[in-house]
Amino acid sequence: MAETSDPRPDGSGVSPSFLRDARGLQRKLVEEYYARLGSPDRSRPVAYMLVGGNLAEIVRSFGYEVVFPEIVALNCAIKHQSLDNILHAESMGYGLDVCGYVKNDLGLQDRDGRTSFGQIPRPDLLVCSFSGCYVYVKWWEALAESYGVPLFMFDVPYMREEHPRKEDIDYLVSQLWDLIHLLEKRTGRAFDMDALKGMLVESRRAEDGWVDFLRAGRLRPSPIEAYFESIFYMFPINVLRGTREAADFYGVVNEEVRARVRDRTYPLPEEKVRVLVEGVPPYTNYRTFWDFFRKWGAVSVVATYPKVGGLFDRGFRHDPARPFESIAEYSLGAYVNQSWPLRRKIIADYVREYRADAAIIHGIKSCRSFTAGQGDLRDWLNRDQGLPTLYIESDHEDPRYFAPAQIKNRMDAFFESLEQRRAVGAAGGPATA
Amino acid sequence: MSEIVAGVDIGSTTAKCVVLGEDARVLGKSLNAVGVDIVRDAERALDAALAEAQIPRSEVAFITGTGYGRYKVYFGQLVVTEISCHARGASFLFPGTRLVVDIGGQDTKAIRINDAGEVVDFAMNDKCAAGTGRFLDVCANALGYEVGQIGPLSLQARHAVKVTSTCTVFAESEVTSYVSRGKDPKDILAGLHASIVNRTLSLMQRVGVEPEVTFTGGVSQNAGMVHALQHRLGRPVNVSPLSQYLGALGAALHGRERVRGGAG
Repeated sequence: MAETSDPRPDGSGVSPSFLRDARGLQRKLVEEYYARLGSPDRSRPVAYMLVGGNLAEIVRSFGYEVVFPEIVALNCAIKHQSLDNILHAESMGYGLDVCGYVKNDLGLQDRDGRTSFGQIPRPDLLVCSFSGCYVYVKWWEALAESYGVPLFMFDVPYMREEHPRKEDIDYLVSQLWDLIHLLEKRTGRAFDMDALKGMLVESRRAEDGWVDFLRAGRLRPSPIEAYFESIFYMFPINVLRGTREAADFYGVVNEEVRARVRDRTYPLPEEKVRVLVEGVPPYTNYRTFWDFFRKWGAVSVVATYPKVGGLFDRGFRHDPARPFESIAEYSLGAYVNQSWPLRRKIIADYVREYRADAAIIHGIKSCRSFTAGQGDLRDWLNRDQGLPTLYIESDHEDPRYFAPAQIKNRMDAFFESLEQRRAVGAAGGPATA
Repeated sequence: MSEIVAGVDIGSTTAKCVVLGEDARVLGKSLNAVGVDIVRDAERALDAALAEAQIPRSEVAFITGTGYGRYKVYFGQLVVTEISCHARGASFLFPGTRLVVDIGGQDTKAIRINDAGEVVDFAMNDKCAAGTGRFLDVCANALGYEVGQIGPLSLQARHAVKVTSTCTVFAESEVTSYVSRGKDPKDILAGLHASIVNRTLSLMQRVGVEPEVTFTGGVSQNAGMVHALQHRLGRPVNVSPLSQYLGALGAALHGRERVRGGAG
């Protein structure tokens, strides 16, 4: 229950004293990446790829720059530039129900790829690395037709069992060789196994560091914000994985986390509620949404969204000793490629390991592959797991779907009811009017 | 110290205020339309309730704001969401309540509560106004009635029509279509009420339908809605002349707990 002033402890978003060197370094890496992509002197060809189960190391080993249109789109959204691209795509004929990532990308490209953070280059190759979403498949087909460049469709079977089957691995490895042949043909370069293995060494190092960061959320109080802060630190693991810069970055992050524990610097002065967050963030209103948590002393200690680029915290690592098999396992293990029973198990494990008091599910209108099933998840967590869980919905890209008053009202009521029940529990019985 | 408290509920269409005496008796209440100046509307609501209670503002020990405009109740000491307030108000009037159905101007809520009147779970309609008081306003207007007339008229229906759309805008078109086909307005109204209940039932099922249900919010004053809800559930629901004020009453009760040193 809040006092009348609707307080925000230290302004909107998070305190500058909390996010220090790592945030600065992450910004630098982002700027350098987009500067490289937009440079008139760029000599490397460009491959477009999707984040989930991506094949960045293989493509990079042939000298490609990799562009992830999903990440460009979320950068547009967080900088309040997505709506113009979406409206432009709608004027091209894409309907209201089409995914915001798709419309941002198609609208942006039709507007010559100009953003405030850099010029997004046209692709020379399209690698559809996540085929679990049919909208993505159609998006990539539309891009292939629009740009007149080759499209490599990576067919990844859906995961209904916890461990991948040998025949699935074999199927993916055979496709990886198809990709390598295509890349050899496109670039005129021979495949360099040593170069790939060298990248996988760096990938593994980055994955170790990223997992150390995520697992800091198990501490009480948590020295990290596992949802809102992770969104910043996902960039190197998703976009720059396989580079030394990405691996080194997590060394800086974890040093900062250790310093926070030592100095007792936490996301909030008091961690009142430990929250698990499931779902894609509303990037268009990212800080507003964060404030809705902060106001109630709620800290996200674990989240599923930062795992879309890989379930590294569940034990997976790229392996230079088994390069193709481990890449295949990685692609199969993408979070949204897991069946709902598997996702539920992951979430139930997180609740226990991170000692979450409550869960917040943020569904997005755009994406059925992530969101379908979240209503059932809410009921399952509430009823079967006894975990107070709130489901709210907006969108990750389209600000027209974010209704601040309604979302705030739901979150206020949810945290208020948690607070009341705790007060009653602490008092040893129900309060009376 | 006085234990007189007030709750001010600024909803999407109306502002309500309840003043509670030391024995938790309602001393005064008020209801007025909300305009563009919410701060003034909140003041007016409080002044009107105090006037009815014949109590000067200086005697009020604690004021709690609730509803969408709760942060505009600047003269209050506490804000609580209307979800918690309807839960508390319903539990106060009907202690056996375990499920509250609140249908207001632009929101429908199903709130499951425990024996202390605390929220266990809740579900709300999406951000559109389908199936809310606004829906009834629009449909009443399309049929040429005042909103206060449509509930009793719907009870006179003989063959309720099926209204399939729950979208306020599309339902208006559907009503117009039925009118042009010569359907009895009373049958159309009964169909509209049933369509709202079906939508509300979906929210209720999401949190779990409990044996004792209390119906709150402005739409609970509509006899046709009460009838349709009871008919669909197959049992009576709790309704009170104070049902529209339960948000304000619950807010006042939260304030009362603060004054008495409870958690509130």
